[in-house]
Amino acid sequence: MNLIAKRFINLPNLPLIFLTLFCIFLIQNTFSAEGAPCKDYGECDEFKHTLTDMTSLQRGASTYLTYCYGCHSLEYSRWNRVASDLEIPEEIFFNNLVFDASVRPGDLMAGSMSKAESAVWFGVAPPDLTLVTRLHGSDWVYTYLRTFYEDSSKQYGVNNLVYPGAAMPNVLASLQGNQQLICKQIPVIAENGGEKRDNFGNTITKEKCGFLSVESGTGTLNKDEFDNLIYDLTNFLTYVGDPDKVERERIGWYVVFFFIIFTTLASLLYREYQKDYH
Amino acid sequence: MSTLTKVFDWVNHRLPIQNTYERHLSKHPVPKKVNFWYLFGALAAVVLVIQIVSGIWLIMLYTPGEAAFASIEYMMRDVDYGWVIRYMHTTGASMFFAVVYLHMFRGLLYGSYQKPRELVWIFGCTIYLAMMAEGFLGYVLPYGQMSYWGAQVIISLFGSLPYIGESLELWIRGDYYISGITVNRFFALHVVALPLVLIALVFLHLVALHEVGAGNPEGVDIEAHIDEDGVPLDSVPFFPYKVLNALVGIGVFMTVFAIIMFFFPEGGGYFIEYANYEEANPLVTPDHIAPVWYYSPYYSILRAVPDKLGGFAAMGAAVAIFFVVPWLDRSNVASIRYKGILSKIALVMFGISFITLGYLGTVSVTEHRKTMSVICTVIYFSYFLLMPIYTSIEKTKPVPDRL
Repeated sequence: MNLIAKRFINLPNLPLIFLTLFCIFLIQNTFSAEGAPCKDYGECDEFKHTLTDMTSLQRGASTYLTYCYGCHSLEYSRWNRVASDLEIPEEIFFNNLVFDASVRPGDLMAGSMSKAESAVWFGVAPPDLTLVTRLHGSDWVYTYLRTFYEDSSKQYGVNNLVYPGAAMPNVLASLQGNQQLICKQIPVIAENGGEKRDNFGNTITKEKCGFLSVESGTGTLNKDEFDNLIYDLTNFLTYVGDPDKVERERIGWYVVFFFIIFTTLASLLYREYQKDYH
Repeated sequence: MSTLTKVFDWVNHRLPIQNTYERHLSKHPVPKKVNFWYLFGALAAVVLVIQIVSGIWLIMLYTPGEAAFASIEYMMRDVDYGWVIRYMHTTGASMFFAVVYLHMFRGLLYGSYQKPRELVWIFGCTIYLAMMAEGFLGYVLPYGQMSYWGAQVIISLFGSLPYIGESLELWIRGDYYISGITVNRFFALHVVALPLVLIALVFLHLVALHEVGAGNPEGVDIEAHIDEDGVPLDSVPFFPYKVLNALVGIGVFMTVFAIIMFFFPEGGGYFIEYANYEEANPLVTPDHIAPVWYYSPYYSILRAVPDKLGGFAAMGAAVAIFFVVPWLDRSNVASIRYKGILSKIALVMFGISFITLGYLGTVSVTEHRKTMSVICTVIYFSYFLLMPIYTSIEKTKPVPDRL
């Protein structure tokens, strides 16, 4: 550092101060906030994948093939690859999860609905979801699937906080129950950071809207069960988006290790040869 | 004499093998004291080889035209270790620009463009220009949304030229809009035409460099002190000393390369943009069109100018201005170590504005950001345009005699 300081940064103080101010000005004006990634929901909920948890992936695959595959193909993925990666014996897989007898094991999961017709039915063809987690990110998918709410102004009676105006019915409503946007009384925060109170010591509240709430008894799963279901589903889609991730990272350790050894040996050899002229 | 020696002699009398080996490797003198900044040229050569080799394998798996997107997913999923080849190429593209930017910055830092290395510099700038074209063409090939709309933005720039604009645009696309036909021709240019140009330019860059010899961070002319054989006293032979030095650099570089390639191939959306995971769709414009990081400084300059043609001109000028740097620098010393305070401030400001422009090019425009990109564009050009002034008026330090 001393060497660098001497050679390069030995500027007199005035230009240095000027440069620092310029940098602060730059940073302040440049890194202003972007729109939140999950739109009306704000920041997306964090999703941490567990691509080695086979039971989670299997449950996710099962949910996908039961509820989603009718409309959303996985057209770059192959049936038997999914079965073998998820350690599901082909017989069990094809007898229980593939609902089309004409499917052969090596086929692509091209979907069962015609794109042209579905575009007429829905206004837009349901997109292929092979790469959805790579396009929007797993956080986005995990949040999107949990933020449908009732909105009678929409075609399917539901809207979505993450993707306002989504042209998709809430397929999982029977599991989740009827989710609504509700308003709540929340405490007003005073300038000192504490809750504001009136003269009698009661908390002063104001109404704030936009909270998600499920009407109790309308769904077959409770909140935790539903969140777990979506977790598994997102985990499966994360796998489908990048099926070689686990294998890639496993090999990666060996490659990185090799280059570290290589660098060490090369620098030892270089140091030895440097003695010739130093 | 053994048969092998006889064969070698026979060939050597007809082809200058030994001469070339001695001239460019075993006896080629390089300055004995350089720092890490002098490694990026060798690293660029390594990445070029990685790109060519991985590129050849990609061609075996890739289908141009409108089937391109599906063929990428095919090679990523159905081909055994196809992802190794593809991620090697995508990581290589970003790393190529990273090392070339650092290599160019080294040039500005230590005055590598100064007499007698002007031609080396100019060949280098031409390589950079060819790389930008090569990178752009390659980026269109996966035919994702960002490929499509990025190409749309760049090709439409040619449309802004007066008189010939529209016909030129049509001629580039080969169609009335970007289609499989455009992808086909970009493929031909990306895998045959430009690599040939690049290899030829790299050859010239190296031949010119070996004619005048490599520079050093002190800016000392090592040719001024030579021994009785004409070899500079402050030099060592390229092989093995410089090769071993480069090998250490290559080791560190490949470690970083492998970490990116195996663990972060998307580079947080900077190396492979997330929007490119959606197939090209002429009917849907993405919310936010951003180039890959290595073009983003120029994209910011383009956006900083309100007029489209003016922006295109500014962008072109921003790249073209590198070519004349050898004649803009009027300093009597080469290295920043002996230049005056003005040069140091100018270079730091240039570096900051380049990085800021790069960041601004990847995000959406707001009022503040627009102002910032204008300010940074002005600084970017001032660095070059004011160079004749600040390098001639500032007080420089005396350069030592020996390295």
